[in-house]
Amino acid sequence: MTHTLDHCNIVFESLENGTLVVDEECTVWSWNKWLEINTGIASETIIGNNLTAFYPELDYKGFQRKIRTTLRLATPTFYDASLSNRFITIPRKKVTTSLLTSMQLQVTISPYIPSLKRVMVSIHDISDLHELKMTLQHRMMEIAKLNSVLKQDKQIIDTNLMIVKTDCGCLITDTTEAFSHFFGYEKEELVGNSLSSIFVANKHDTEFLQMKDLLQKKQKWSGEMEVHKKNRQQVWMDTVISPYLDETSEIVSYTAIYHDITDKKRIELLSVTDPLTKLYNRQKFNEVFEEMLMRQHWTEDNTFGLLIADVDYFKNVNDTYGHQVGDAVLIAMADTLTGAIRTSDILARWGGEEFVILLPDMDMEKAALVADKYRQAIEQMNIPEVGLITASFGVTVFSKGDTQEKMMYRADLGLYRAKKNGRNRVESVLP
Amino acid sequence: MQTDEFSSDHLDVLKELMNIAMGNATASIADLLQAFGTMHIPHLTITDMDGLKKYIDEALKYDEKYYVTKQLFGGIIGGEFIFVMTDESAANLGNYLYDVSQPNDADIMDAVIELTNILSSTIISRLTEELKTKVQFFAPSTEIISGNHLIGDEDTLNYHKIIIVSTVMEFQSHKISGQIFILARDETIIRLRELIDQKLEELYA
Repeated sequence: MTHTLDHCNIVFESLENGTLVVDEECTVWSWNKWLEINTGIASETIIGNNLTAFYPELDYKGFQRKIRTTLRLATPTFYDASLSNRFITIPRKKVTTSLLTSMQLQVTISPYIPSLKRVMVSIHDISDLHELKMTLQHRMMEIAKLNSVLKQDKQIIDTNLMIVKTDCGCLITDTTEAFSHFFGYEKEELVGNSLSSIFVANKHDTEFLQMKDLLQKKQKWSGEMEVHKKNRQQVWMDTVISPYLDETSEIVSYTAIYHDITDKKRIELLSVTDPLTKLYNRQKFNEVFEEMLMRQHWTEDNTFGLLIADVDYFKNVNDTYGHQVGDAVLIAMADTLTGAIRTSDILARWGGEEFVILLPDMDMEKAALVADKYRQAIEQMNIPEVGLITASFGVTVFSKGDTQEKMMYRADLGLYRAKKNGRNRVESVLP
Repeated sequence: MQTDEFSSDHLDVLKELMNIAMGNATASIADLLQAFGTMHIPHLTITDMDGLKKYIDEALKYDEKYYVTKQLFGGIIGGEFIFVMTDESAANLGNYLYDVSQPNDADIMDAVIELTNILSSTIISRLTEELKTKVQFFAPSTEIISGNHLIGDEDTLNYHKIIIVSTVMEFQSHKISGQIFILARDETIIRLRELIDQKLEELYA
């Protein structure tokens, strides 16, 4: 037995962890080199003495209970190593910055000589691991805080910003609550559907086609877009669509951010619209006219026309039937012209009973023919109370060096001639 | 449940062995902690990960705070012993073992570890003793969790079949109760079945 114990002591001495042997009364029977070095207590001093004399602060009730458990169950018992140290205090000699001044210990009590009620206490220094855990916990707390802020931000975004995410095929993958709520959908109704098929009012719209083109080129697009809600109500959206590319520059997804500008568009529309006929007003017409003049590509063979139309004997209508009927005539004429023009033509109310039309890509001959077609359409109109009405037209086309004033003068001259020559006719004035 | 691998006979034997082990655990606690308690008849299930999650969802409340101690054991049969207590029970246990009216977190953790230690070593040791095999215990760790997130998704990787042994331990006079889960994975289930087969052969020989 003595020989075996000596052998065990040799093993304990060579261990790279603390090992002591105590009995149920806490008398120390072995104290290895690791403990001597790290506690500063020599084995000769402590062996044969009670641990209480050296470590009075230790909870001996708990320690003895653990020893008893170890011996009775013939199984190791453990101290909790997750919080502060529960066993003896061993100072830590780390010179560089440390969160711990004493060692964090992993303590295992194992049966040693049950007949003598002795147990072996193995002590492992897990301070580095514990420090790492503490640092990790600290980082996790920071991450949790950041996550909480992010969550709040996400909630703000979710409830206030209209954002849609789609896959590379423009199928919706996610939307914010604000988006689905605004458009009158449940999120589930949107996910998996094509964005354009749900919202875009006019897929042949130049803006929409331009957007498609840019996105196909993997570029960001921003602009105004007319879309519709689930209840088919048309709304205007200021839109930014960005593609998200992977490392091989392939499109992975798109993010679209929408901002409702319907009210702004209404105001804009009011500022350029004639309130009676709903056509462009004179101010807007001048703006578009100027833009058209600025285009560089007009030549002798590729030019644009300008028409001025004036309701014949309009003063008589007003005087005979009153202004309300006069207004009805103007509205009917606006509707007829709107139905007759091409989508690329610009129609506006110039003032009083005069209407103006810009006809892109049209020479004098064609412009005169078009004007006559309009004249005939007006001639066909049958207005309640008034009956048939007619209109006279003045026509001109753009020529190099023309200004608005010059073109208007010629068109007006044509109109004057049409009136003078008997009304309900078209007169052209060459540049 | 794949009955072709673990029959109802196997389950019955295991249940009986667990009953004996639980009885031992109760006796050990009475002896070592002077706490006299009861342990419910263990419930045994072989399930998969989804089954385990569902089981835990039903066993634990989502709005409760729990002290969860996990201890690994290894050998021919290995697995994880999990002891779960509500924070109220854990505080009562800390109060009882450390004689303080308001035990600190370290007191509670240590008390929970101590009780888990007795429970795991008695139950598992007795079971392995009956099955004539040995087992090694590893240092337990305790954590406080909110709700029933007892097992994280990352912990459940590579688990295909799981054997759940669960029971409730109660010390009425001290208002302490806890739930025990013993989880073992595929290879342990196979070994366990083999050991039980041997046991059955011995019994009927």
